[in-house]
Amino acid sequence: MPAGHGVRSRTRDSFSRPFRKKGYIPLSTYLRTYKIGDYVDVKVNGAVHKGMPHKFYHGRTGRVWNVTKRAIGVEVNKQVGNRIIRKRIHVRVEHVQPSRCTEEFKLRKVKNDQLKAEAKKKGEVISTKRQPEGPKSGFMVEGATLETVTPIPYDVVNDLKGGY
Amino acid sequence: MGFVKAQKSKAYFKRFQVPFKRRREGKTDYRARIRLINQDKNKYNTPKYRFVVRFSNKDITAQIVSANISGDMILASAYSHELPRYGLEVGLTNYAAAYCTGLLLGRRVLKMLEMDDEYQGNVEATGEDYSVEPTDTRRPFRALLDVGLIRTTTGNNVFGALKGALDAGLDIPHSDKRFAGFSKDNKQLDAEVHRKYIYGGHVAAYMRILMEDEPEKYQSHFSEYIKRGIEADNIETLYKKVHAAIRANPTAKKSEKEPPKQHKRFNLKKLTYEERKAKLIERLHALNAAAGADSEEED
Repeated sequence: MPAGHGVRSRTRDSFSRPFRKKGYIPLSTYLRTYKIGDYVDVKVNGAVHKGMPHKFYHGRTGRVWNVTKRAIGVEVNKQVGNRIIRKRIHVRVEHVQPSRCTEEFKLRKVKNDQLKAEAKKKGEVISTKRQPEGPKSGFMVEGATLETVTPIPYDVVNDLKGGY
Repeated sequence: MGFVKAQKSKAYFKRFQVPFKRRREGKTDYRARIRLINQDKNKYNTPKYRFVVRFSNKDITAQIVSANISGDMILASAYSHELPRYGLEVGLTNYAAAYCTGLLLGRRVLKMLEMDDEYQGNVEATGEDYSVEPTDTRRPFRALLDVGLIRTTTGNNVFGALKGALDAGLDIPHSDKRFAGFSKDNKQLDAEVHRKYIYGGHVAAYMRILMEDEPEKYQSHFSEYIKRGIEADNIETLYKKVHAAIRANPTAKKSEKEPPKQHKRFNLKKLTYEERKAKLIERLHALNAAAGADSEEED
């Protein structure tokens, strides 16, 4: 029998629930709210059969463009041939998690605003740009003893001891 | 051979998936909870209130709860052990007391939200099915009945509490199928019978029967009623007074409790992460100081 290409083909492992996490899903998934423009990760929960995205979107991250009663519209990038299309899918909330991809950026924004406000008060000019890690600075080596290593002449007797 | 097979092997425990904590305790029905809590996503943070009724052996707890990721938030609560404040001291878990508790919670919530003048509810309890009519200014307070784990049979005291809350003026979707007095044959609610239950008529009937047939059992079973001079005939007036008192002043009383006594500790207090680090630094300093002193002595 040839291999099938159904919608859920080859999802035996990716859609299965993790070890010892089967059964009822924790209620915080239902209590989270999503607003348009948030970033979300799509991660299929095999225990809920309705509103499942296609296996391609499992593990993708996209933006919310629509919020309905029980589902969320997510805009995900998909490469089709030689271009990338922004695909709009609707996914039930059980298959969606809030993404942390912008978390670091948001924290940095807040911190930078704080630093700039402080600098403005003092009258300094600061740059809040991130710098890549540069080469390590120089340092003095301490506690180093010098040991000069010179070759010693070959001693036949010592090397062959007991062997001949 | 037979004995070894009966044991639970290590492999069994390694693969065992523990149920949720409240399921282990047998307190929460998650299937029902999911369906009660789920709020439409396009309503964002609008809370969905549950009218929670729970019975213990001697008390009734009625609460209005909204769910939250960090824990459910209680908007208002009423207990049947508050009813002595309104004049009811005995029979605190029967249908009539449940009605009073539901009524108390309903009026309390409406007063808290300043809707109590708009929505008076059903002032005279008739036992008929009553649903709140929305007025022009504000829509009625909506909650969903959460019974927990009890078996919803016709005439269960939980529905007494439900009727109390409905008559108080809350909007709780319901049907009259499970009220006391609904007959399956006619498929109709007998309002007279329901009214009897709301005013403790069933208790009064039992009192009359016992007085006739077994006066000794009557003395022992209803001793608290007799002590307070409550007889089969004045039960209804008693409950009418309680209803009126509840409607007059439903606000909760803050209980004055002194701070709990400090008990002597018999075991060491667990240190915090900072305290443990500080202790380690102290020890290192002491060691270094001692080592320094030793090396100086050696030299």
